[in-house]
Order: sequence, then C-alpha cells, then structure tokens
Amino acid sequence: MSTLSIGARVAMLCAAALLGLTAAVPAQPQRFPTAVQTDLGGVSLISESDDDETVAGVQVFLAAGLDRQLPSESGIAALVADCITRTPVNGVAVRDAIAQSGGSLDFTVEGRSVHFYIESVPQMLPAQVELFAKALSAPDFSPQTIAAARSALTARINDLEGNALSVAVEMFRRSYFATSAGLPALGSTTAIAALSSKDLAAFYQANYRRSGLSASAAGDLTPGLADALKTLAAGLPEGVVTPVVPKAKPIPENAPRIVSNRDVAAPIVVVGYAAPPPGSADFGAMLVLESLLSNAFERSSATTLGIAERSVGAFYLYDSSPASLVVYVNGTRVDPSIALRELLVAAKSLSLKPLDAEALKHFKIVAEGQFLTGSLMVADRAYLLGTFAAQGLGSDAINAALAALDKTTAADVQRVAKTYLQRYIVALVLPRQNGGS
Amino acid sequence: MISLGAVAAALALLAAFVPAGAATGDLPQLGPHVSVGTLQAGGTYIVRPATGAPIAAVELWYRAPSTGFGPKPIPSLSRLAAQVVIASKPLIGSSLGRLVSDLGGRLSVNAYSDSIDIGAVVPAAHAREVVKAMTTAFFAPVISDDGFHAAQQDVAQEAVFESFDPAAVVRDAVFAQLFSSGPQHYPVLSDAKQVATITPADVRAFATRAFRSQNAIFVASGAIDPSLAAAAVGGRPAAAGLAVPEAPATPDVASSPHPVSASFPEPSGGYGWAGPPIAQEREATAMDFIADYLFREESGVVSEAVADKFPDALLIGQFITLHDPGVMFVAYAGKSVDQVKAQVDAGLEMMRKPLEPRTFAHALAAFRFHLLSDLQTPSEMADNFGWYSVEGSPEYAPGANGDKGSYAKAADSLTADFVASVAQKYLSVTPVTVTLTPGKKSS
Repeated sequence: MSTLSIGARVAMLCAAALLGLTAAVPAQPQRFPTAVQTDLGGVSLISESDDDETVAGVQVFLAAGLDRQLPSESGIAALVADCITRTPVNGVAVRDAIAQSGGSLDFTVEGRSVHFYIESVPQMLPAQVELFAKALSAPDFSPQTIAAARSALTARINDLEGNALSVAVEMFRRSYFATSAGLPALGSTTAIAALSSKDLAAFYQANYRRSGLSASAAGDLTPGLADALKTLAAGLPEGVVTPVVPKAKPIPENAPRIVSNRDVAAPIVVVGYAAPPPGSADFGAMLVLESLLSNAFERSSATTLGIAERSVGAFYLYDSSPASLVVYVNGTRVDPSIALRELLVAAKSLSLKPLDAEALKHFKIVAEGQFLTGSLMVADRAYLLGTFAAQGLGSDAINAALAALDKTTAADVQRVAKTYLQRYIVALVLPRQNGGS
Repeated sequence: MISLGAVAAALALLAAFVPAGAATGDLPQLGPHVSVGTLQAGGTYIVRPATGAPIAAVELWYRAPSTGFGPKPIPSLSRLAAQVVIASKPLIGSSLGRLVSDLGGRLSVNAYSDSIDIGAVVPAAHAREVVKAMTTAFFAPVISDDGFHAAQQDVAQEAVFESFDPAAVVRDAVFAQLFSSGPQHYPVLSDAKQVATITPADVRAFATRAFRSQNAIFVASGAIDPSLAAAAVGGRPAAAGLAVPEAPATPDVASSPHPVSASFPEPSGGYGWAGPPIAQEREATAMDFIADYLFREESGVVSEAVADKFPDALLIGQFITLHDPGVMFVAYAGKSVDQVKAQVDAGLEMMRKPLEPRTFAHALAAFRFHLLSDLQTPSEMADNFGWYSVEGSPEYAPGANGDKGSYAKAADSLTADFVASVAQKYLSVTPVTVTLTPGKKSS
C-alpha cells in the first residue's frame, strides 16, 4: 500500500495532468467540444461556444438553394441572396452596415440551401443578426440592386469559368444530380441576365419561409444570439417549404465521359463517384479512401502542396446531398491519361483485396488529420455543424464522424471501394484550340 | 479541499518539468494565457494554449537573411536551406516533411527578407512528436544529398510559379529600389536557374548559423498545454562568436530610388514607401489602419471600387511591419491597369486628409474586427507572435495581452487627424514606382 498522503497524491495528479503525463488523462484533447442544439420555437440552433475564440460567427441556412431553381432560372438562388446582402437597412446596404459595426456578411449557395454567414466581434453578433433580419424580411429587389448583384455575380462566374478544376467539378455535378442541385452554384450569366424583379420576388416568396430556416454558430458566443435569431425567424413568413428529395442519377456502367474546352493552360480530369452520406456505416471508410486516393499518387514534397501544385487530389463532398467523391488529375503536373489509368487500377484493386493493417492504420491517421485540419476557421466549424445537423446527425456529429473513422476496418474499406468506386463519370476540361468550342 | 502543502508540492513538481530559464526577467510579457520562456539550449518559446478544435500550430521562427550571412548575397538560400532540412531523412525516423504528411497535417515554409518560419498544423494529439521532430531537424540540421536534390527541385518549381505572380514580381522590384543594401534589396525567391547554382556547402553554412536553438523563436498555439515547449530537444550548445539571437535587420533605404520599368506577361504595377519602424507603434498601427481601410480584400474602399469596375484586376495593398523601416506596398495587375492605378492614387490622396468622424468611426470598428478575425486559427495566432518577435517587438503583436495589449491600445488611440498626419508624413514622399508591361525591356 502506498504511503503517500491523499494530499500528495492529489498534488501529483494535478501536476501530472497539467503536464499531460498520466496515461489515464489523454495528453491532448482528441475531439471537438460537443455542440448544443437549441429549439428557438421551431427553429433549430446548433452551437459550439468557445470563449477562447477572438470572434463569433453564425450561419443562417434557408431551404432556398439550387434544388429550388428551374433550369431556365439557373442563378436565381444566388441573385436573391446577393440582393438580400445589398438591401438597405437605415439607408445603408446591410452588408456595409454590418461591416461598419465590426463584422462581415456573405453567402454561399449549395444544392439544398443558401447560407448567410455573419462573423463579428463577439459582443456585436446579436445586434448584427438583428440588422440582417431586417434585410432578410424585406429584401430589396429593385432594378438598381439587381443590376449591382448581377454584375458582382457575373464577375464571380467568369472567375470560376477560368478555373479548370471548378469547371470540371461543375460538369460532374451536373451529370450526377437528378435535381437542380447539380446546377452551377452561381448560375449562368445568360440566365441571370434575364431574371426580373418579379422573378426574384416569386422565388423569395416561395422559399424564404420560417419552416426552412435553421442556424449554427461557433466562436465566442454571447447569450443574446438566441433572441436575435428568434427575431430573425419571426420576420420570415410562415408556411411550409416542400422538401426536395435529394436524388442522384444512377451512374452507368460504361463510365460516361464529358468533355469541355476552356481557356486553360493544361487539361484537367475529374473522376466523380457516388459516395455515402455522413452518418452512414460507410462514412469512415470513404474518408480513408479519400485520403488514400489523394496521397497515394502524389510525389513526395518537403512541404504540403497546394491544389495547383498537386498531381492528383481527392475531395469527399459529404456536405452535399447526395454525397460524392471527386478525384482530379492535374494536367500541368502529370500525363492525365497515365494518371487516370493508375487511378482506375487502384480503385479496382481496393475492391478486390483488403488493405493490410499497416496501410489501414496509416491512412486512418492521415484521414483524421485532414478532417481535423480542414475546419480551422469559425465559419468552417459553424458550417460543418449546420450541414451535419441538416442531415439529421445531431449535435455531436463532428465527433461521431471521427469515431466512425476510428472504427473503420479493412473490410469496410474494401466493401466501400466495391460499392462506390467501380462506377464513375469522367469530366475532362481541355485547353481551347483555335476555333474550338 | 487541497491543502497549501499539496499546492506547494504540485508547483514543485510542475517546476521540474518547465524548461530552463522560463522565469528570466527579459522575456516578453504576452498575457496571462501565454507562456514564455527559454528553450533548453537557448532561444525563446511562446506557447498559447486554447480551447476549441483539437488542432495545434507548431512553428519555428528565425532571424536570418534570405540571402545568407556571407559577403556575397545568395538569393533563395534561406528558403532552400529550410526545405533541405525538412526533406533530409535523419539517421533515425522519418523526415519532418514525411512525419507531418503522415499525420494528415500541413507543413509550410515562409521565407522573408530578414526571417524565415517553418510551420506545421497538426492534430493536437500529435503536437509533441511534431515539436520533437521539428526541433531535432532544425536544432541540429542534417543535410543529406537526397534531401538537397529534392528540395532544390521543389524550390526551383516554386520559383517558376512565383515568376508568374505579378504581386511577387512587383514586390521584388519595389524592394530592390527601396533598399540599397541588405537582403531586402534581393528577391526572397529568385529564378530557377539561380537556385540551381546554390551548393550543399552554401546550405550547410547557412543552416549551421541560422538554424540554432539560440536563434530560434518556438511558437505553438491551439489545443495544447503550456508544457509543450518541454518536448523541444536541446540541440547544439551556443557557439562562440555568434549572436544569441541574431540581431534584427536594419537595411539602408535608398536615397534616390528610381522608377522601374520591366517586362511581364500581364500589365502590372505598384508602389512602395518606407514607413515607420516597429518601435513607432502608434504610427505603425495607423499605417495598418490605412492599408485595411483602403485595400483589405473584399472590404477596402479601393478594393471594392476596383472589384466593382474592373473585376479581372488584382489589387494588393499592405503595410509590412518590419524592424526598421516598415514598408507600405501596393501592387495591381490586369487589363485596366491605368484605371486601377488612378483608383489607388485617389484612395491614398483621400487618406492625407482626416476622414469624416462617422466614416472614421466605422472604419475603426471594422479595423478592430479584422484584427480579431485574422487571429482565429492556431496558425494565425502563432504567426502573429512569431512575426512580431523576429521583428523585435513581441509585446506589440496584436494577439499579445488581448484588449490591454500594446497593439490594441495603439488602435484605440487612433484619431482621424493622427491617421492623416501619418499618411502625410510617410505617403506624401515620392514612392518607388514599378511598371510592368508585356514585351517591354527592363530598365
């Protein structure tokens, strides 16, 4: 029996815990803080408060995304959202009013939703949400505001058109989604040029409803946020937003190829696969496959390579629904046809044989690291919480995803490779030739 | 209840694990949540634990001229040397680059004229092994042939990428004219041909002097505990005759800089002015405010106007806080380069007069928010301590001492009149101007 006094033992434990020296106390936290889900009278707020953060941010989701558009109105979701950020509140565009009081407002359009993100010095966030609520409840769709929003969107669309990877991913999404969720996030310049105030007002009336609203927040949150969000919800009309069931087209066995020409320096190839949603039993295994396909072909480099410097990379688009896995081959770095062939051989062999224990362990660690280091900003964390919650995954979904990764076995990886990686769509963006399309 | 004796015992135990020199008097005071001390073999550590995401940023900062310590400047040397060290496999274990990659983390090297930083972002659970590997690699550098050749290839490729970046080309041209000597006169990353002329002996000599524990500022931030610095290895003992640490650089400002015209595929241009040194905190903060108000991406008044009217244009404007002097730098590129330049000129002219009180109040609120927003990730927090330390004023780092820190106080003290007076003082003198034109010969 130990002769140490209780006091001395407590003292040693205190010291050891501070230094991370005991085996019983983990040396470092391994997981994100658990988020809290709050019902704001029919509107869900999921939040992860951390008073160590320098800022606070809230994502306001509305079921007014790409899947609500008609193909002939491609871009209306983005144009409505842009107009909302330009809507005057007390004579100043709301995004400028928020900036002037120490914050920022922007928006992103996705398949199932549009989300507005407000980031702020912590104590100002509730007041800024209330400012935004005024614009959200009475948006300005005047011709002048639409013209300014259209001009800004056109510039962003043109920017994306010059990015071969972005073009190729959009091509894949268009072929993969069975709904309008596969339309380009910002739309087409032709379609947005034709949209009128009346069109925008109709889209807003149909989709900006209280029942389609949810929010997620992260950072140094103050108690006033919940009330501000209630005010925001109260400003939206009641009424049901009919859900659009996310749906993908079945990927044919013959590996369809889509080709497009753009003003780019070198070809880029995107191979798109169907993928399991977060929360499914296959999620962890697909994270392993993402890290494997992303890293297995890459040349060694002293420092971490950026997207443009990589030969091959992979993105698991688990935040969109249906989910997908996109692997790209960068024609400025490697011969695309050789890399593509190697990628397809790898996908086949992963389905035929389980990874050995060492390789599985290695790619699980890499996958966990990439998952963790992919959500560093307050905006990223709030977004991830909100998008997981929208898929019905609850308040601890980020940690659940990490747990799923921990539990993944070699058999899981093989099964998932067999289920998802044997059918694919190839999107190829080629440099434009003289007179090419 | 824990007795006083128990607390004393705990403190005694804790003290045994804190790196030597942690309580010396000349260390900066960076706030109650920031541990500062001396590494085992010399050099400073700054550890800023945080709650939240289980991520850690681990960085080593060194004062080291990008062109080396010898009489003959060798552009790209610091960058290459750091990458060689990262790529070289030690006798035992993997290279640092491999370790970070195997953890799913990110490893970067950022070379500046007078300093260099090596930074890793990794899951916090692996922070200790990364600290150990990084300090093992950099406190007793191994230069292997394989590592040298791999790094030389990487750096040459980066040089090619950078040669197409108008902001980098304009910056190098501005600095070459603004400073008549010192590493600031030369590009941090030169062309691929020049990188090929650097020898392993050059790298070894540089690494031996620059990458010493005594010259290091080790910075870590994120979900870590204050004892993380104890995972740093000792490294080589202090060598006789070498400064501990190297002194901050004070380059010579050219007395009569000339306008530069050169050839570049895209029409581009820019300006540079010598600004206040880091020690002039209020003035330096005013210059940051000016850069933020005019040029911050997406919200600066000039940036917004340019994005609105010339969507294809590139515009960068920043005040670079340096030991002495700082530099206000502006670069622009695109088809409508003359019109963009006119917008920049109008913006700068506006700052020479006090802003309207309401406009100034809004701009100051936005500036305070941007400061906080730029400190939200572990690597941003670590970068801020590292940068201000190598430039000689860690206590002026925006993340130091929160809203009671030097930077916050300087920001709070800004007035429209003072900002205008600083613009008059530093931005009314003739700047170095750079004009890059497709097909035009250099002058």
